[in-house]
Amino acid sequence: MVNSKSSTAKKAKSTKAKPKSRDDKTANIVGIDLGTTFSALAILNAIGKPTIVPNADGERLTPSVVYFDDDDAKIIRVGIEALNSRHLNVARSVRWIKRQMGDTNYTKKIDNKDWTAVELSALILKKLKQDCSAEHGQIRDAVISVPAHFDEVRRKATMDAGKMAGLNVIGIVNEPVAAALYYATTQQVRGKVLVYDLGGGTFDVTIMDVKGHQMDIICSQGDHALGGIDFDREILQLLEKSYKEKYNAELLASDEDRAKYEDEAEDIKKTLSRRSVAKKMLYGPAGNMKVEITREMFEQAISPLLSRIDILLEVALEEAKLKPSDIDKVLLVGGSTRIPLIQKHLEEMFGHKPEKTVNVDECVALGASLHAGLTMLSQNADEVPQGIAAGLKDVKLKDVCNHSYGTICAPIDKETGQRVIANRIILKKNTPLPCQETQMFYTMSEGQTELEVTITQGEDTDVEYVNKIATHKFKLPPNRPTKCPIKVTYSYDVNQRMHCSFEDLQSGRTLELNFCLDPNGQVSKTDIKQKTEHLQSVKVE
Amino acid sequence: MLVPAAAILLLTFVMTLIIFPQLAEFCKFPALLQNFMRTKLPARKPDPGILNCCVKISKQQKQNIPADVFGIELYGTIPVQGEKIYATLQITISDITHRFRNPKPVHSAVKQHRQKNSLIFCYRADLGWISKADRTLFDWTPIAQILCKHLTFPYTGNRLIQLKTSILSRDNGKEISSAVCAFDYQNNSAGYVNLEQNIKNTKTLAVALAFALGAVDDKLYDCEVEIIKQWARRNIELPGVPEKASQKLNKAIEKTIRFFQKGNKVDACKICRQIVRTVPVAERYDILELCLHVTKASGAVSPEETTLLKKLTGWLEVDMERFRSMAEKIIPVSMHQTQDNEVVLGITEEMTKEQARQHLNKEYRKWNARVTNTDPEIQLQADHMLHLIAQTRSQYT
Repeated sequence: MVNSKSSTAKKAKSTKAKPKSRDDKTANIVGIDLGTTFSALAILNAIGKPTIVPNADGERLTPSVVYFDDDDAKIIRVGIEALNSRHLNVARSVRWIKRQMGDTNYTKKIDNKDWTAVELSALILKKLKQDCSAEHGQIRDAVISVPAHFDEVRRKATMDAGKMAGLNVIGIVNEPVAAALYYATTQQVRGKVLVYDLGGGTFDVTIMDVKGHQMDIICSQGDHALGGIDFDREILQLLEKSYKEKYNAELLASDEDRAKYEDEAEDIKKTLSRRSVAKKMLYGPAGNMKVEITREMFEQAISPLLSRIDILLEVALEEAKLKPSDIDKVLLVGGSTRIPLIQKHLEEMFGHKPEKTVNVDECVALGASLHAGLTMLSQNADEVPQGIAAGLKDVKLKDVCNHSYGTICAPIDKETGQRVIANRIILKKNTPLPCQETQMFYTMSEGQTELEVTITQGEDTDVEYVNKIATHKFKLPPNRPTKCPIKVTYSYDVNQRMHCSFEDLQSGRTLELNFCLDPNGQVSKTDIKQKTEHLQSVKVE
Repeated sequence: MLVPAAAILLLTFVMTLIIFPQLAEFCKFPALLQNFMRTKLPARKPDPGILNCCVKISKQQKQNIPADVFGIELYGTIPVQGEKIYATLQITISDITHRFRNPKPVHSAVKQHRQKNSLIFCYRADLGWISKADRTLFDWTPIAQILCKHLTFPYTGNRLIQLKTSILSRDNGKEISSAVCAFDYQNNSAGYVNLEQNIKNTKTLAVALAFALGAVDDKLYDCEVEIIKQWARRNIELPGVPEKASQKLNKAIEKTIRFFQKGNKVDACKICRQIVRTVPVAERYDILELCLHVTKASGAVSPEETTLLKKLTGWLEVDMERFRSMAEKIIPVSMHQTQDNEVVLGITEEMTKEQARQHLNKEYRKWNARVTNTDPEIQLQADHMLHLIAQTRSQYT
C-alpha cells in the first residue's frame, strides 16, 4: 500500500490501533503461523506467556487444507476434515496454498467462483480465528508469521488474507525470528544463533546475535520451494519408479490416486525419521505390490535438495561474515528438521548438536504471539495488560531489512559508453532497522519536466529481475538544463514502514511515498472490503 | 639581359598559388606542397576593418588525461547599425579536408552545443550590448574555449578544419558579421562517418557470422534462417528504391543460404577480427545477441553451437560474464543439450575448487532472488538454475 504526497500535501495518517475495553484485552493478542502444510495459533495469557490454542477438533496443529463441499460450495471445510476429504474429489480441495501467495495469475475455480490464493488463505485464518474465539472470546489483533524471504507482495498478500478473515493484523514477523523469540524467552540462548527453519514448504535460515532477551538479527536467507512436501515428492517418485519397474505401468491413474499416495509418501517420510525402513502396499491399476523404502534410499533421493540447503547455509554465513565455528547455537524449527540426516549433518557442520528442546511445529506460532505483544507495547503500551507488559518488558528485538530496495535509473555503461536502464540499490538487504540511505541522481535531458520514479525490491541490477512495487510521476520545473540533482532518500522503520523521498534540490520540490503494511493503507481498500464481506457470508467448518 | 621566361612563369605561378591556395586543389597539386603552404607560410596580418577569427589549440589536463582545447579568438570590427545592438555569438565547425566536394559538419556530444533537433555542433553565447564606440577589437581577444572531447569529427586522422564565428543580432537572429578560419587538426578518435560506414559493413559480417553459427552443427534450420532474414531486413540498408533494395537483399541472403547448405564454412575467427577492428563493443554485443537468437530458434542448443558461442565471445573481445547474462535471458537453460559449465554457470577451467564453490554460491544467491519473480518464465529458469547449481556444486565439495 502506498501513500504518496507532494511537498504541499498532508502527512500520512498514523497507524494507532483502535482502543479496546480492558475486558477484551487478554483475548486480543495472538500470533498465527500460517504454514504451507500446517497452521497454528497461539495466544498470550495474562502473564505474557504464549500458549497454543487447539482447534475445534482438539488438535494443536490445523492442516492448511481447504475442501469445498460437493453439494454446496458455501460450506467449506478447513483442517483435518478437509485433508481426509481430499481423496474424494481432489478438484474441490486446495493444499499448499502458501506457495501461491502473491501470484496474481493463480486461481482455483470452484463452481462459478475463481478463488485467489489470498482468499483461500483467508479461509484457513478464519478457521483458526473461529476456533480460538469459541474458547477465548473475540480475537482481533494478530501477528502473522511469514518466511523470511517473502517479498513485499507476498507479505501484503498475507496481511490482506488476515484482514479478509476479520483479523486486525498489526504486524508481520519472519518465521525464524518468531521461533528465536520463543527460544530466547524460554531457554538459555546466548551468542551467535542460527535458526534453521525447514517447514512443509519453505526453508529459511536466519543468523542473529542473542544476549539474554536482546536479539539482533544479522541476516536471513531462504528458499521459497524447499520443504517437507518436496521430500514427499521424492518418495512418491521412488514409489512410482518401483511400481513401473515391476509392472511397466503407471501407479497413479488419477488425481485422487496422487492425493492418496502423497499422503502415503508423507507417512513414509515420517516413519523413516524413527525407523530405518518403511513398508507400504501399493494398489495400482496393474496390480498390487509391497514396497520397502529404506532410509538410505530416501537420503539418496533428497541429497540434491540438501545440497540446496547447504548452499543457503553457506550464503547466509558469508553474508554474516561468519564461519560455522562462530555459531554458538543452531535452533531447529519446522517438522522437516526431524529427519535424522539433517540433524547429523548440522552437527557435523557446526560441531555441536542442534537445539531441539521446544516443539519444532509450534515455536513459530508461540513466537509470533510474543511478537504481537511486543508490537502492541511499542504502538499502544496503555492497551496492553500489565501482566503481559511485565512478561515482555525485557525482550528487545532488532530486525533487518528483508530485501534490497532501489530505483530505476539510466547510468552510462562503462564498457559500451551507452546509457542503459538499470536498477540501483539504495537500501541493502540485511541493513539493521531503523535505517536510512541517500543517493544522488540527475536529470537526463534539457528541459526535462517529468521524472518517472519507480521503487523496486530485489537484489538485481537488471530491471527485468526486480519487483517494481510502485511507480509515480514527479513533476519538475520547466526550462532547466540537464543534470539537475535529485536527492533520493529511502528509510525503513522498525514497524516495517518504508518512506521514500525524491527531492529536486534546485527547486525544492519533493515527492514523498510511504509504504506501510498497515491494513489502514489506501490502495485496494475497496477490493479488500468487498472480499471481506463476501468471506463473512461463507461458512467455514 | 633577358630574364628567363620560364622563371617568370614559375614565379607567377607560385605567387598565384600563394594568394589563392585553394587553386592548388584544382591544380591537383601534391598533398605535400599543399601542407607546406598551409603550415609553413607566414600568416597574413588581419584586416582590423573586418571581423577576423583564429583558433589556438592547447592541451588541458582533466583527471591526469590530456585533452585538446580550441581557444577561439576574435580581432577586428563588428559592424554596428545604429547606436548599439544586442549581439550573440555563434560558432560552427566543419571538416573541409575534401574542400568544395563534401564539407562535413562536426557533431557535439553535449546537447547544449547542438543545432536544434540535430547532432551538429553549434556553440552559442550572449555577447551583450555592443555600441558603435566599442565595436572594434584592437587585439586578439579570446571569446570561447571548446573541449575537443565533446566534439565528434566526421573522419579520423589529420584533417583540415574550418571554424566559422558569426555575430548575430538577438532581435532578429540575422547575421551581422562573420569570420572564418581554417586550421589543421589531428583527430585520433573514430570519426562518425567512418563509424557509420563501419557499422554498415559490420552488419553484413554479422549475418555471415550468424549463418556460420546456425550451420555449425551441419543443420541450417528454416527457423534459424528466418531469424537472420528478419534481422537483416531491419538492420541492413541498401541504396536505391526500397522494393528493389529488398529484392537485392533477399537474393543475397538466398545465395548465402545455398553457400552454407552445401556444407561450406567461413572463417569465423577472421570475421570476428574484422568486426573488432571496425566497430565499438556495443555493436559486438548486438551481434552476439543475434547469434543467441539464432541458436535459440531451433529449440535446442547443440554442443557445437555452445562451443562456437564461447569462441565468438573470445574473438569478439567481450566480457564473458556479460555475455552469460545475455544468454541467460535469451536461452532457457533447459535448451542446452550439454551442460557447459562455463557458458551456463560461469565456471572456468582456471578456477580452483574453492573459487568454483564461491562462484556457485554467488550464482545461487542471484537465482534464488529471481525465483519469486512474477514472470513465470523467469521463475522456471530460476528453478532450473537452482537445481543445476546444487547438482554441480557437489563436484566442488
